[in-house]
Amino acid sequence: MEIIFYLSIILSAIASVISIINNIHIFQLNYYRTDTQLSWLMKNKCLLVFNAFAFLLGIFSIKLWYSPIILLIVIFLFYIKKNYKKETKKPLVYTARVKRLLVTTFIIVLALYSLIFITSTLDVLVIACVFAFSPVIILIANLINQPIEKAVQRYYINDAKKILKSHSSLIIIGITGSYGKTSMKYYLTTILNGKFNTLMTPESYNTPMGIVKTIRTELKPTHQIFVCEMGAKWVNDIKEICDIVHPHHGIITSIGEQHLESFGSLENIVKTKLELADALPENAVLLMNGNSDAIINNLPQRKYELYGTQQADKSDSFSYTAFDIKASRSGMSFSIKSEKEVAENLSAKLLGEHNAINLVGAVAMAMKMGMTIDEIRPQLRKIKGVPHRLQLLDKGDITFIDDAYNSNPNGCKAALDTLALFDDYKVLVTPGMVELGGMQDELNEQFGRQAAKVCDYVILVGEKQAVPIKKGLYEENFPAKQIFVASSIHSALSHINVIKTDKRKIVLLENDLPDNY
Amino acid sequence: MKIRVGVFFGGKSVEHEVSVISAVQAMKNLNEEKYDIIPIYITKKGEFFTNAVMREIKAFEDVDLLLQKSQRVTFINYENKVVMTKYPAKKLGKNDISYIDVALPVTHGTNVEDGALQGYFKSLGLPFAGCDVLSSAIGMDKYVSKVLLRNGGFPVVDGYRYSFVNYKNPENVVNDIEKKLEYPIIIKPVNLGSSIGISKVNTKEELEVALEDAFSYASAIIAEPCVANLREINCSVLGDIEFAEASECEEPLNASDILNFHDKYEDGGKSSKAGMASLKRKIPANISDELRENIRKTAVESFKYLNCNGVARIDFLLNNHTQEFYINEFNTIPGSLSFYLWDKIGMKYNALLDRMIELALKRFRQESEITFSFDTNILSNAGLGSKGSKL
Repeated sequence: MEIIFYLSIILSAIASVISIINNIHIFQLNYYRTDTQLSWLMKNKCLLVFNAFAFLLGIFSIKLWYSPIILLIVIFLFYIKKNYKKETKKPLVYTARVKRLLVTTFIIVLALYSLIFITSTLDVLVIACVFAFSPVIILIANLINQPIEKAVQRYYINDAKKILKSHSSLIIIGITGSYGKTSMKYYLTTILNGKFNTLMTPESYNTPMGIVKTIRTELKPTHQIFVCEMGAKWVNDIKEICDIVHPHHGIITSIGEQHLESFGSLENIVKTKLELADALPENAVLLMNGNSDAIINNLPQRKYELYGTQQADKSDSFSYTAFDIKASRSGMSFSIKSEKEVAENLSAKLLGEHNAINLVGAVAMAMKMGMTIDEIRPQLRKIKGVPHRLQLLDKGDITFIDDAYNSNPNGCKAALDTLALFDDYKVLVTPGMVELGGMQDELNEQFGRQAAKVCDYVILVGEKQAVPIKKGLYEENFPAKQIFVASSIHSALSHINVIKTDKRKIVLLENDLPDNY
Repeated sequence: MKIRVGVFFGGKSVEHEVSVISAVQAMKNLNEEKYDIIPIYITKKGEFFTNAVMREIKAFEDVDLLLQKSQRVTFINYENKVVMTKYPAKKLGKNDISYIDVALPVTHGTNVEDGALQGYFKSLGLPFAGCDVLSSAIGMDKYVSKVLLRNGGFPVVDGYRYSFVNYKNPENVVNDIEKKLEYPIIIKPVNLGSSIGISKVNTKEELEVALEDAFSYASAIIAEPCVANLREINCSVLGDIEFAEASECEEPLNASDILNFHDKYEDGGKSSKAGMASLKRKIPANISDELRENIRKTAVESFKYLNCNGVARIDFLLNNHTQEFYINEFNTIPGSLSFYLWDKIGMKYNALLDRMIELALKRFRQESEITFSFDTNILSNAGLGSKGSKL
């Protein structure tokens, strides 16, 4: 009996550690926000089955003594087997914060285990509960660490502010928007690099701490321009960033339904994006995407200029307009009309209408920074597609359009429009869209209907996510034998080779969910 | 936040002392509002030392004493920044002295002007002023630059190269030279600057002595015909392959037909602190406007042709009767950085240095065109079979 008792303690400890690390991983993806983490847990109740069983057995143990312990051990073993070294796409990063969180968590866990030796009636309950409540324990640990985390963040923020202050000649360009800000950041930086030493926030760093880290570790005295991507999931996020970096100029790439769930309403999204406009000094350049209806309907009080692609009724008010846009497998060519000049025959190895819009915006800002069209032209050709954003990839006998990052209704439609331009055998690989609140199923169904008109074959990833898209496909009479539901993105990609066709395959990889879905 | 400029000078080179003079001048003229100046002295053994007092020429009166009081350093690229750190490292306390944002090599001669030091900067990932590895190397080798320039249609005099392997039998070399060229003949080491080991010979005996002398400095030499009615005209170029401009032309004046090391530097002497600038010279050179423009144009075009960067001085040989001129050699890090030639057309030394640093950063930027790499790449991991792995 004693051996079994100690075995249960050890297995409880192992299962708890795995559970703690997995939960911290999700917590990190949820930006360490308790409310987001809780709603994630509510949404993924099925993952808590083990915890619930363990808790119940713990309760029974008060009455039934040791008999539930065998079942507990079985549950621990199952949990360990299922979750040990789980494959993840964006692994947990052991930052200083995570380490601090782990320390506090383990102190709590050890304190709880020590109860085993104090009480003899509730020992099994403790063994069960440490594991059962591990998702909550990390949140408590986070709460305890809160003052330390705040102080650490304040120190870093002040340090970054000090660095920026000492770099008085640095021009800071803030970029925000629901979609397209990362692309805009890459395009603008590539163009500006033709003339200026330009630093940008790397990859998809766009949170205050990500920006602070960029300033503290990458900004050099030789930099002349800092291109700063500003991301937002909640009201006030952009203001918070602007209070740190104080941008001199700004670009708003779009306003749409991205992160609708956390913002609550479209009004809040508009308000948050326009926080950038409010933060700019009076004589600043503020460029906004005139093709975005939400922007046109919510123009700010201050001075601004619009950019975009030519449209029958709207583009008259644009200061920078792209026209004569042509697309091919080698990319796109276009012309830009500004108040001063018309620049013809610009080209970039990119696809998609939204990329044309982003390019005009980037060219407009570069011109505002004093670059001539002749200086801009060669830089445009150097622009590479941002990985996973309508990126054209040639892999042997298959062409990929990799659009795996952060899909949304407009983006999905644009990607399908781009796919439609090709003559090849068109395959769509997608798990559908997420983070769209109550509209999610409806929008995925609509996506299915749109896909049916364009694609020759559709591979859906994940049973749960596939249901509404399938429904949309069937509504448009898409043949069932040209649909395949894969369990993972890996098996979906393997399935591409199985598809039989005489034509060359072009595969649109649309949306690729992070591990918290 | 000033730009931290590491000024490198000295080095394993016969022009070590001249470099010290040039560097001290440059440090005096760098704009302190913009730059933090970090002197980095390279000893004749190739060690790096730093000490704030190295900005004064006085400090070099007793080099051994200076080195005792200075910190030996080494450089490391850490998170995309170049750190100057103490060597050997102290067990306790801070070892990093400063970051270096850009290097300004003010070094002359082999090992430091020929691409070797430049290659070190490149491996470090440190932007540096002046010519890149290849153009430095081409500029240093008089035979290679001659061949390339001729190929590009630029005027150069004929030249024959003999290596130490040929010279194992000196008589053959002498006979071969006599067969190919008529006296007077110029003999020079293939890769030295500052006129070291260069002789003009009129007889076989003089040729033998000249070869002996030249081979004592280098492993290969060039023999070339002497331009008749010789005048030397030098012109400096500033810029890069996209845009470059020429300075005023100068005519170095001296008693003998050819500048030797003694004339070129030692007359100026350390004490005068003026280096090249104090040499007997005529600025602007007394030549016709047409010739001046032709020389300046040729200088700019050849500078771009060899993909030079920053400031270089191109030395021409002029036949004063026919007015024909030839490119004699490239100095990719000219003495005193040729500031005195720029001063004459209204560009101050500090502006010249600003431009060189801008150009250094521009080249670095162009070379490190952003490559986007994301930490996740599901396509490369996916089971696409053998075809997918061809990437």
